[in-house]
Amino acid sequence: MRLTIEVHAKMPISPLTLGGGGLGWGEKLLHFAKSAASPTPQSPPVKGGEAVNKGQTTHNNNILLAIFFVSVLLSMVATPSSASTVRALRLGYLDSPGSALARIAAQKGHFREEGLQVELVKYSDSGKGLEALETGVIDVGVFAVGDSLRAIAGGKNFRIIAGGGTPIKNTPLAELDRELQAENESRGVLVLIPPSWPNAEKGTIIQLTAAWIRAYRTHQQLVTSSSRPGKLVHFDPNPDYWRLERIWHSLGLQDAAMKRDFLANHVYEEIYCDALDRLLLGHIDPILQQLFSKAICTPNCCPASAARL
Amino acid sequence: MKKRIIALTLLLSLIASSVIAADLPKLRVGYVPEPAHGLYFLAKEKGYFKEEGVDVELFQFGSAAEGVAAVKAGKLDVGTFGTTAPLLFISKGSEFTFIGGMMVGGQAIITRPERLPELSGKDLKVYKGKKIGLVKLSTGDVIFRGALKKAGIDVKKDLSFVEFGSAAAVVEAVKKGAVDAGLVWPPHFSLAEKNHGLKVAHYIEEFYPDYTCCRIFAHTDKVNADPDTYRKFLTALIRAYKFYKTNQEETVQIYTKSLKIDEDIVRNETYVKKVADSNPDPLRKGILDFWQHILAAGYVPQDYPVDKHINTEIYKQALDSVVKKNPKDKIYQEMLTFYKKNN
Repeated sequence: MRLTIEVHAKMPISPLTLGGGGLGWGEKLLHFAKSAASPTPQSPPVKGGEAVNKGQTTHNNNILLAIFFVSVLLSMVATPSSASTVRALRLGYLDSPGSALARIAAQKGHFREEGLQVELVKYSDSGKGLEALETGVIDVGVFAVGDSLRAIAGGKNFRIIAGGGTPIKNTPLAELDRELQAENESRGVLVLIPPSWPNAEKGTIIQLTAAWIRAYRTHQQLVTSSSRPGKLVHFDPNPDYWRLERIWHSLGLQDAAMKRDFLANHVYEEIYCDALDRLLLGHIDPILQQLFSKAICTPNCCPASAARL
Repeated sequence: MKKRIIALTLLLSLIASSVIAADLPKLRVGYVPEPAHGLYFLAKEKGYFKEEGVDVELFQFGSAAEGVAAVKAGKLDVGTFGTTAPLLFISKGSEFTFIGGMMVGGQAIITRPERLPELSGKDLKVYKGKKIGLVKLSTGDVIFRGALKKAGIDVKKDLSFVEFGSAAAVVEAVKKGAVDAGLVWPPHFSLAEKNHGLKVAHYIEEFYPDYTCCRIFAHTDKVNADPDTYRKFLTALIRAYKFYKTNQEETVQIYTKSLKIDEDIVRNETYVKKVADSNPDPLRKGILDFWQHILAAGYVPQDYPVDKHINTEIYKQALDSVVKKNPKDKIYQEMLTFYKKNN
């Protein structure tokens, strides 16, 4: 089973794919060409001093660059078959109710909505799944929280990009005992990527996370419309650093030699915030608003580009 | 012949200045495009950084998260990205140290013109029962909550908040009447007034004087390894502060050229309405207050001793050195008084 990401320059842009790092190749080139044509580049970091001093020469170079990239773009549009970028990925998941969002995302077409074609690989054991993630057999993993955190504590350089489902224990003791609560939460699942994902593919990671959030929304809608009583699993796509930190400490994983930010360096909350931000560009959705309200995202303290204002 | 001599002289001076710059310790400094960050442009343009013995390269960022991540990754030596972002990173274990400040104040509450009369006056109680749009964890959000608390207003019962992903979305919500008022920062409120006819009901400064906005921070290891370079950097900013206070027209020109923002907006925000002050003081007490408001809002579940991540000593040394050279200078004396009050 393989996941193939195929992006064409002619790929239609859905309103939800605009903005952020989730641009397709065609849009990326247009965006770059637009930026290059602008006398004040908009993508950070922009070297402030140079932007002020280079003046007309920079502007002319930018125009030439813009012409070059628009030419490349046009040539891609003219020959779509040769211009396609094919990328193969696999998403491995633990065969448990907590992984339901992976199946929903695949069955309801949420990966496709994000420009991705995802194939799922089922694992009956998180340990084997994490091994597959480390060796590159799979590219994304949805595995048990406890096993994943232990693997990270043991030196595996995975990055957590989203949360998943956690089994619910409706006992008064579980509510009172924080350790019992953490133990239960460690049986839930989360979404990880291996260190081999380059930073250049941040856009694809955001797309994956956005598909995951869409799956959560679909799940919530299904639950609301369903007449079946009771709830066995609590779903939350938020990686939630502070929840993970609580579990991390309950499992005794913080070694004295570890730096204080050891766990934080493995939780990629920025991706979740970016994905949520992008989805919120669409119509006002109460489920997304609720997720946004719970998320702790670093606010953008300033205009994305003062030059445009 | 004369032209050749001039050209040769220019070439030699260029080579000389680049040799001097090459010998100076370098600092890569990240900032966001706001007029209140302008002290960097002044220090660069007027040559204060080089005169103090530091070679500063400026990098503009559009996202605070990316800027803070760049400091963490060692790609920047100095960051200026709000107060919230570095505090959140510190609470999660990042070894950052606040060494100075850049922006004080700057947040405004905007509304539709017909709603202005009911929101007028100098009492925060006018916001009771109102629906306020904001960007969660922005300086405006944190400080407005702090101001309401100080005024005895229950933020959970007496009014409601609607969170948006950007200041532009807040402006849009106010415009459409989806919220009664909105909290935004410069230049968004000036643009909202200019482009959409909205009005500023209050500046939060009216209820909460001298609150912190963007702070200057660096990786603790770097600060500890080379405090002297950071002292020189802050000395240049102290001199830039004096220039900004005493040379208004040239400051407006330098800010406008550097940021490529409408000149009228720069002048208006910087000198006419004075919506924010640019001040390199670390404002230690302000940072500690800010952290308490973040905790009170429930944004971070556990307290952390952030005070050990604030170094006021380097700034004090820089200020003392400037005062020593200019003992009768009124501006530097005011800075000293301000330091004593806020640190």
